[in-house]
Amino acid sequence: MTWAVMAFGLCWYTIINQMDTKEIIRIEQLTKRFRDGEGEFTALHKIGLSFGRGEFAGLLGPSGSGKTTLLNIVGSLDKPTEGRVTVLGKDIARLTHKESAMLRNRHIGFIFQVYNLLPVYTVFENVEFALLLQNFSAGERRKKVMEALEWVGLAHMPNKRPDKLSGGEGQRVAIARAMVKRPEILIADEPTANLDARNAHAIVRMMKQLNKELETTFLFSTHDEKVMGYLERIIRLEDGKMVSDEWVNVKTKKT
Amino acid sequence: MIRFLLKGILRDKSRSLLPVLVVAIGVALTVVLSGYIKGAMGGIINQNARFQTGHLKVVTKAYAQNSSQMPVDLALLGADDLLKKLRKDFPQVKWVDRTVFAGLLDVPDSSGTTKGQGPASGIALEMLNRKSGELKRMNIESSLVRGTVPQKLGEALLSDDFANKLKLNIGDSVTYVGSTMNGSMTMKTFRMAGTVRFGNALLDKGAFLIDIADAQEMLDMENGTGEILGFLKEGVYAEEKALRIQSIFNENTDPHDEFAPTMQVLRDQNNLGDYLDTVNAYSAFFIGIFILAMSVVLWNTGLLGGLRRFQEFGIRLALGESKGRIYRSQLVEAFLIGMLGSFAGTCIGIAVTFWLQIHGFDISEYYSNSSMLMPSVIRSEFSANLLYIGFIPGLCATVFGRMLSGLGIYKRQTARLFKELEV
Repeated sequence: MTWAVMAFGLCWYTIINQMDTKEIIRIEQLTKRFRDGEGEFTALHKIGLSFGRGEFAGLLGPSGSGKTTLLNIVGSLDKPTEGRVTVLGKDIARLTHKESAMLRNRHIGFIFQVYNLLPVYTVFENVEFALLLQNFSAGERRKKVMEALEWVGLAHMPNKRPDKLSGGEGQRVAIARAMVKRPEILIADEPTANLDARNAHAIVRMMKQLNKELETTFLFSTHDEKVMGYLERIIRLEDGKMVSDEWVNVKTKKT
Repeated sequence: MIRFLLKGILRDKSRSLLPVLVVAIGVALTVVLSGYIKGAMGGIINQNARFQTGHLKVVTKAYAQNSSQMPVDLALLGADDLLKKLRKDFPQVKWVDRTVFAGLLDVPDSSGTTKGQGPASGIALEMLNRKSGELKRMNIESSLVRGTVPQKLGEALLSDDFANKLKLNIGDSVTYVGSTMNGSMTMKTFRMAGTVRFGNALLDKGAFLIDIADAQEMLDMENGTGEILGFLKEGVYAEEKALRIQSIFNENTDPHDEFAPTMQVLRDQNNLGDYLDTVNAYSAFFIGIFILAMSVVLWNTGLLGGLRRFQEFGIRLALGESKGRIYRSQLVEAFLIGMLGSFAGTCIGIAVTFWLQIHGFDISEYYSNSSMLMPSVIRSEFSANLLYIGFIPGLCATVFGRMLSGLGIYKRQTARLFKELEV
C-alpha cells in the first residue's frame, strides 16, 4: 500500500512538474539518415533536446549541419529514422499524413527564407489561407486576418499582391500567415537571410514581440548574427551533432 | 475553398488560360476533323446518291443485273402506278423517275448536213416538273454555264465541254440518234437551252439532259422509266432505314419474274457497299488515332500543370493542408479546366464545322480528269456525335493527366516536396 501511494505520488509529481515546465517539444536520441547514392548520409545523430512554451530559441550551425532537417521533423514534415520526437504530446513518428497535416494546421506555423507566399493571391488571401483549412466563418476569418495584419503593420495593404511587396513586407505577410491561427510553435528557417539589416532587425523584433504577447515558442535556424542577438537560447549543431546548448540574453532558464 | 481555388485559376493565366487553350484547341481539332471526314466521305456517298444511285432504287431485276449497259429495253413499265404505290407505301421517301441512256448526238448545219457528232450520255429526269426537286438535287441551276434550264419539251441541256467540242451555241439544234426500248432506231431533235458543268469529269464529258417525258416519247417507252430513285427525306443515307424499306418492298415482288421491280439500297450499287465499309473503317481508325494523339497531348498538359506546382503544394502542406485534400483540389481544378476547355473547344469545333458545311473546300481542280463521281466541294457534316467526340476525351485526358502528376504528391516525402519549394 505504501509503495502504491509512493508510486502514485511520483507519477503525480512528474505530471505536475511537466505542467510547470510547460514542455511542448521533446527530442530524444533523434537520428535521421538519408539515402545517399548506395550508402546513407546521417543528417542528425542522437540529438536530445526539449523546448518549453514561449521559448525564443535558435539552431546555429553551418550548411549541412542538420538545422533544417531538425526543424522539418519538429514541424512534422519529416519523420525520424531513430529516436523519438514528441510535439504537444504527439509522437511524430506515429502520426499519419492526415494527423501530421492537422498538427501543422492547428499548432505549428512556418516561416521560410524565401517567404513563399502564393503569388496569385492578395496579402489578405495569403493570410486567410491558413484559416480556410479550419472551420471559421467568413466574418471570423476576416477579423483574425486583419488582426494578424495589424500585428505585422500591414493592415493598410490587404489587397496588394506579393509581387508588389518589398522583401521586408513579404516576410511580414509570411509571419502574419504563420501567426494568424495562433500556433503554439513557430518554426522559422533562415527568416532573415534575404533581408537587409534594417528589415532583419525589424522582423526579429516583431517576432520577439509576438513571442512575448502570444507565448508562442519560436524555433529558428539561422547563422545571422543579427538574429542571434535576440535569441534566448542557442543550440549549436555541427555535422548532425549537437555541440552546445546555452541560454543567453536571459537571467534564468525558462524551463 | 472552391471559391479560393477558382480565384487562383482565374488569376494565374498559366494555370487557366494556357491549359484551357490547349484543351480547347485539341478538342476543336478533334471535332472539326471528325466532322470533315464524315462530311467528305458522306459527300461522295451523297454525290453518288444524287446523280446515280439514290438512297434507294427500283428497277427490273434484269435491269439491275445489266445496269452498267444502260439497258433501256429492260426498263420498268407502268411507272406511274408504281410511283403512286411507292409514294403511298413509303411516304418517308421522295420518289422520282429517271432514265439513263446512251446514243449519238448529231449537229446539223443550216443545210442539214452533219457539222459534228459525239457520243452522248443521256439522263432523262423530271426537269419541267419543278416540284420534283430534281433541278436542285442534281444541282443543275447552279451548274449552268450558259443559257437557262429547259422551259418546255424539246429543249435540252448539254455539258459545257461537250457543247464547246460540238461548237454549239444556245438555241442551236442537236439531234439524238439511238435505239428505242424495243430495239428500233430513233431520232429526235432538241433545242439546246443551256450548258452545264458539274465539276466532274465523268458527267462533264458528254452529259445530255432532257425531260423524262421527252425520253419516254423518244425511246418509245410510254409510261415507262429506266429507274425510280428514292431519297430519304432527311437528306442523308441511313442504311438501317433503307434496308427496312427494301425488305418490305422486295417481300411483295415476284421472285421468278425477271421484269418485276426490285428495290436496291445505295450499298448494293457501284461497289458503294465496299466503299462504305472502307470509309467507316478508315474514319474510325483516323479519328481514333487523332483522339489518342490529342489525349496524349492533353494528358501531358495536365501532367506538366501538376508538376510545375509542386512548390505551391509544399507551401500548402506546410500550412497544414493534407495530401489527400491537395490531390482532390487538383482533380477539381483539372475537372473545371477540362470542362471549360472541352466546352469551348466543342463550340469552336462545331462553329467551324458549320462554316465548312456551308462553304466547304473546292477541290474540283485537283481531280478534273478523274472518272470517279465526287463532289467538287468537300464539306463538313454536323452530327450529334460531334457534341461529345472531343468533349469526353478532352475532359478525361485533362483529369487523367492531373491524376498522374498528382501522384507525385504522395510518392514524394513531404520534406522532399518542401525541398523543391525552397529551390
